[in-house]
Amino acid sequence: MRFIRAALARIAGVFSKNTADDDLREEMQAHLDMEIAENVRRGMSPGEARRQALLASGGLTAAADAVRDQRGLPWLDSTAADLRYAVRALRHSPAFTTVVVVTLALGIGANTAIFSVVRAVLLKPLPHREGDRLVYLRQSMDGPGGADIDFSVPEIRDFRNGAPALGSIAEYSPWFGTLTGKEDAIRVDVGLVTGNFFEVMGLSPILGRVTRPSDDGPGVPAVMVLTHEFWMKRFGGDSSIVGKQVRLDGNSLTVIGVLQPAPWFPDRMDALANMVISPHHLSALMVEGRTHRMTAMIARLAPGATVSQAKSEVASVYDRMQRDHKDAYDAGSHYRVAVISFKEALGERARLTLWILMAAAAFVMIISAANVANLTLMRGVRREHEMVVRAALGAGVGRLRRLLLAENLLLTLTGAIAGLGVAVAGVRLLTSLAERYSARANEIRLDAQVLAFTFVIAVVLALLLSFLASLPREGSFAERIAAGVRRLTGDTRKQRLQRGLVVAQVAVSVVLLAGAGLLTRTMVQLSQVNTGLKSEEVLTVQVPLLQMSGVASGGSDPREVFKAVLQSDAAAKVRYDQMRREITGLPGVTEVGVGSSTPLKASMASFEVKAEGKSVKVGEATPRADFRTAAPEYFSAAGIPLIKGRAFAATDGVSAGKVVIINRTLADKFFPGEDPIGKRIAWTGEVLKFSPISPEWRTIVGVVGNTQDGGQDAPPRPAMFMPFAQELAMSGVIVIRTDADAASLAPTVTKIIHRVAPAAPIENVMTVKQIKAQSLAPRRLNAALVSSFGILAVLIAAVGIAGVLAFSVSARTNEIGIRMSLGADSGRVQRMILGEGGVLLVLGLVVGVVGAFFATRFIRGLLFGVAPNDPTTFVGVAVMMAAIGIVACWIPALRAARIDPAITMRST
Amino acid sequence: MADKLDVKQGTLALMILKTLEGLGPLHGYGIARRIEETSRNRLSLNYGTLYPALLKLEQEGFIKAEWRQSENNRRAKFYALTATGRKQLARETREWHETADLIAAFLAPKREAQ
Repeated sequence: MRFIRAALARIAGVFSKNTADDDLREEMQAHLDMEIAENVRRGMSPGEARRQALLASGGLTAAADAVRDQRGLPWLDSTAADLRYAVRALRHSPAFTTVVVVTLALGIGANTAIFSVVRAVLLKPLPHREGDRLVYLRQSMDGPGGADIDFSVPEIRDFRNGAPALGSIAEYSPWFGTLTGKEDAIRVDVGLVTGNFFEVMGLSPILGRVTRPSDDGPGVPAVMVLTHEFWMKRFGGDSSIVGKQVRLDGNSLTVIGVLQPAPWFPDRMDALANMVISPHHLSALMVEGRTHRMTAMIARLAPGATVSQAKSEVASVYDRMQRDHKDAYDAGSHYRVAVISFKEALGERARLTLWILMAAAAFVMIISAANVANLTLMRGVRREHEMVVRAALGAGVGRLRRLLLAENLLLTLTGAIAGLGVAVAGVRLLTSLAERYSARANEIRLDAQVLAFTFVIAVVLALLLSFLASLPREGSFAERIAAGVRRLTGDTRKQRLQRGLVVAQVAVSVVLLAGAGLLTRTMVQLSQVNTGLKSEEVLTVQVPLLQMSGVASGGSDPREVFKAVLQSDAAAKVRYDQMRREITGLPGVTEVGVGSSTPLKASMASFEVKAEGKSVKVGEATPRADFRTAAPEYFSAAGIPLIKGRAFAATDGVSAGKVVIINRTLADKFFPGEDPIGKRIAWTGEVLKFSPISPEWRTIVGVVGNTQDGGQDAPPRPAMFMPFAQELAMSGVIVIRTDADAASLAPTVTKIIHRVAPAAPIENVMTVKQIKAQSLAPRRLNAALVSSFGILAVLIAAVGIAGVLAFSVSARTNEIGIRMSLGADSGRVQRMILGEGGVLLVLGLVVGVVGAFFATRFIRGLLFGVAPNDPTTFVGVAVMMAAIGIVACWIPALRAARIDPAITMRST
Repeated sequence: MADKLDVKQGTLALMILKTLEGLGPLHGYGIARRIEETSRNRLSLNYGTLYPALLKLEQEGFIKAEWRQSENNRRAKFYALTATGRKQLARETREWHETADLIAAFLAPKREAQ
């Protein structure tokens, strides 16, 4: 109580200082007067009386200080004074302050923004309960599309039985369908999950319930759990959706709950459903087919089990599987399984890019900190005698240090606040980059932890800066004063530090520039890769019409199902043809083709292929090709060049002989040096059993050019095209070539499609140009970011060099004046200063190039068509840095050359 | 001057409270004079010791201050004991006696020497 009252009184004291000061002065004056009067009464002379009274008082000012300390919160008072002083001091040097704050804002802003992304995507714990116990299993094999081929039900069964460290296993099959709503239809990605899925994943519903084991098997009601994102997007977060029915293709499902927000891997999911909507998933084919790999596997480690335990168990189970089922794992394709922590798997595509950006940002931070340190050092030297005077007037070292700290804190915190502005803008940009790489991009936030990170940077920087400056030691100020006002260059230790900082700045800039150069060259190389298409003014629209899963509700009799599929297929083809004819009639349209897949995008399916009379060598991977269909006009509409033979014709109908067109890669694979036309080729492999694709021989009628379907940076994929009419229209893409701006046709085309097929979702309305740009976009952004960091670094470094030299010139004005009056001409002086800067520049360049030589190895994975130590890039970077560095040296050198010896000497 | 004692930390407050109890409301000069006299001039109070102590007692609510005319018609700040101050004085006096007894017992020649 007493303490609180006293504390409150003290706090009040902080604010009522002025009146209290007057009060105190009057009180002490009264005291003094009374004492003087008393002394006089005792017989002293008035002068003596006053002297004695003052002596007894012990000093009025000191007493007032002591009372003031008791009155308020002394440290607060002096901090406020320090801050007031700091604001005043910084206002006096606006140029310094602006440069420092802007430099820091950029450095801190970039770091804050990138750190917030790194934290969300790579570091933050997963939202899943005990998410660090989750592991992702990935089966892969050689060849295009082999990076992640999922698992078959028998494979999962083997792991479940043979690898107890995996504890419990969550399975889901990526599935998709058309969700029909009140007015529009959209394609949704649905995961078909087992009842234990959510339990294993450690995910809970925020509304309703999730699936449970009783939802497994045939004959149960179809249920759906919405992901949080999809619920917000499609249903606007309407909680009354739970319990309602939705239609997915032909099925009716009950929405039973909404899931907590969670990232999905490897595929983005809109909703999760039980297997009952796909009888195929419950069929013997699926359950017994070892090569029918459709299921992703995420396991929760058994209590006490470690990832490495899981790895070794999985490896030995997999070894046995491969021995027991040789036909399911052909040796040439190098089947393998990896066990990765789920969190790592979620971040793996983003990891390299993000750490490189983080490193680049850290480099920029180092350079800006070095610059600020340099500026502070110089300012510190200029202020040396200010400090000496302060020390002489009784400020202790601690007090001076606090003063500096207040100033530097003010600088760095202002920089940090401005930097947060930069970060807010940067985060928005970076989120769009991270979305391409990680499902966790929506967790990116400038939250308390990120702010703490920023704050810590600012404070640490301020501390460093404050302790860089050497302060006059107590008792040493006399000799400092004696040393005189002219000692402006600081001591040699400090000079060496300044120069070292400049060398470091140049070196780090060179490393950053080298990285930026390599990434930019990668971009250039990639955009120069020929897509294989003749025109970019091609509009593509994806309109899935065929309903595959919906027909399943007709029953599980395979013949019934097949009949329903064929009916749906025929209806779909009629509509595609109608769309094609109507779009062809639009002005500006030169050709319209229909096919199964979009040019420059990988086909959804690829299968093993064989050619008649050609055997695969032992140990060689089984050849595979992308499955694509094309109507006769497709190739010329898409601009895919026909190299040999003929395109499809209207005569290649359902009842005509089966024909195919292969791309150059596939032709080269099977028929090197031969004419493939007329040869026969067929789909093959166990997995065809699970598809409507027939394994019969098909005659090659044409060869088309390769297109960059796996992206600009991937080797061309082998592809085989079938006539659109001869296969099921499993997905429909309309390709529209125009003689002008393809993008402008989009609204009209969409309207036509919507009229012909009102219930069909219309997706990916994009021109070929846009598809190409989209595939390059993340890399472009990445290169642009690193480049802007590089340029920023170079500019800051240039300011650093110029600043240090200018300072050196101003400190040596005298010396230069003497040299000039002794006969040195201005050219010579200029060369002297240039030489001084040149040494720093060359040192920095050497260190930087060597550093870059090692540092660029880390970005090897991000490069294309350029080696990590590409000589052209390195030379270019060195020349650029040297050129900018020389300009930066020239400015102070010119100033030195213009020194008038007469004026300099007289002013000494 | 050199033989004068500095006021021991913590004892000054007690002296001030006791002075105000005995003499009623008093200004700073009066309190200082009274304490010096009581100590038979062995103590000397400079302003830097006295006024912070007065302020502290005021903040703690043991005394209250008021501007008044002094005996020779001069405006001065008079300090007076409050009710809590009176209680505090009683408590501190008791504690001080106890401490003094204790210290005296310690410093007394040992009667039970072995």
